[in-house]
Amino acid sequence: MSNLDHGKFTRVTTLFHSLLGLDVFLLFFTGYAIMFNDELWWMLTLMGGASGVTAIHRITGIGLVALVIFWITLQVISSTGRSNFSKVLPAKDDVDAFIQDIQFVLGRADERHPSARQFGGYKADEVPLLSYIGKGVVFIFSIELTLLAISGLLIWSKTGLAAMFQTKAAAMAFVTFHGLLGVIMLMGVMFHIFEHGMHPAFYPVETKAFIPRSMVPEHHGDDDEEPDTTGIERLSLSPSWRTVSTIFGAMTVIGIVSVLIGSIFDEGYPVPRELAIGGGPASILLTIGINLGMVVLGVGLVLSMYGNVLRIRWEQQLERDERPAAADGGEPQTDGGQPEADDAESEH
Amino acid sequence: MTNTEDLPEVSGYSRVSVLISAVVGLAVAALALFWAQGFRIGYESLYRVNPSVEGGGIGSDWVFGNTIPALDFLIALIHAADVILGAFILVMVFIHWAAFQRLADQMREPGEDVNEAVAADGGSPARGDEQGGDSA
Ligand code: HEM
Ligand code: HEM
Repeated sequence: MSNLDHGKFTRVTTLFHSLLGLDVFLLFFTGYAIMFNDELWWMLTLMGGASGVTAIHRITGIGLVALVIFWITLQVISSTGRSNFSKVLPAKDDVDAFIQDIQFVLGRADERHPSARQFGGYKADEVPLLSYIGKGVVFIFSIELTLLAISGLLIWSKTGLAAMFQTKAAAMAFVTFHGLLGVIMLMGVMFHIFEHGMHPAFYPVETKAFIPRSMVPEHHGDDDEEPDTTGIERLSLSPSWRTVSTIFGAMTVIGIVSVLIGSIFDEGYPVPRELAIGGGPASILLTIGINLGMVVLGVGLVLSMYGNVLRIRWEQQLERDERPAAADGGEPQTDGGQPEADDAESEH
Repeated sequence: MTNTEDLPEVSGYSRVSVLISAVVGLAVAALALFWAQGFRIGYESLYRVNPSVEGGGIGSDWVFGNTIPALDFLIALIHAADVILGAFILVMVFIHWAAFQRLADQMREPGEDVNEAVAADGGSPARGDEQGGDSA
């Protein structure tokens, strides 16, 4: 998950990212329909009940195994992949970027750190391959997906599990473990969707992960023109941004808090001595909250598809035009813009 | 793609390495499937999902009790990790939310004259695509 040449994905990476996203969203929907069946009963029914969801979860689970192994292999055997390893390691800049982000929020810094890298925080050439968030995302998601794949395979068959663990209860504990492990991923992806969907300059979706870098024209302008700014002040805000980002931000927070509480609730924190999974009291608020979380994931899925629609349009536009109309105004590193996002709605 | 003039040179992944990786990925997945199936399926009625059952439901056979302390510990550990990372993720959401507000303040307001700014750059397609509320 690391080949972002100057903050851009290669073609293979964009495809991988979309497929991984699709697969993980399906795993989320099915896995948490099981775990939060009190709150997400309708999803469970929609996907064919108990046998339906567990079947879909297994099929997509095998898909995830294939995707993860594909990516690991690719990173190891290709020189592009190998050359990226060092760029994923945490560095002092990442800590600085985190601190500067806090200062930026408090108004004590005027820009975000280059290692925070999203638009509005850097100028050309200053930008590392991965932002500090990006590194965190790569680490957390990689570890999570690997552990989930392994534990998922282990719980594949209940008979096998029971044989492995002697008692049925112990076997079920392992299933619980698998589900709780996924909660981190679940919360992380909600944040990821917010981060890449609600950035004011990229809203409604940051195309970086969808339009391969090989298709984004480079800036040939004169660098003296705007030496001191990131150029963000030249963009205009979308009219709906304030409303939508506020609603979506709130939904993200509620979603994260709810699945977190749900995971504790369904189980008993701190140290669970006795598990009562799914047997907990069903609270209306929690039910609403967890469902809002699922809406956040749904929006993520739509945005991911929309990103691919934009890519297709972008390709068509590149073919049509001699010079792409959207060759960007002054910021080679920013995302390439969206080719006439005219009838966005009709496409999803 | 016909227009290559402005496009950067990108050293991506070679076709061969992609192909090899794909084959390895699929092979491992197939092996994994084979191995997992080896546990014998057709025995899925183990009280896992039963939401419609009164007083039943997921994990209700916990009454049998878990006899492996290490598993208890694992679960306690993962709970703690969930909570700690969850809190951290929330902090990140709030930082970004606030940072986005500040960035938005630096941008032009929707009505302002955009003509002199060179278009695009991901700057809004003038209309925001109402994606906030509804899922697919
Ligand atoms: C389950 C679904 C997803 C997974 C597992 C996933 C995973 C990743 C990973 C590991 C990275 C690289 C690290 C980083 O730069 O943050 C990444 C980058 C990115 N993702 Fe996702 N992603 C998912 C869904 C989405 C969705 C729905 C969107 C769009 C709203 C999205 C947009 C992006 C963007 C724009 C980047 C590039 C970030 C950058 O380079 O600054 N992702 N994703
Ligand atoms: C993003 C990745 C994944 C997430 C978020 C996830 C999540 C979940 C959740 C929440 C449950 C329900 C746990 C409970 O009832 O407490 C579950 C069950 C399960 N998962 Fe996953 N999982 C993931 C990946 C995988 C993979 C890769 C596999 C297999 C290769 C897998 C196989 C299973 C199986 C077999 C079950 C048990 C279903 C049943 O009760 O019959 N999962 N998963």
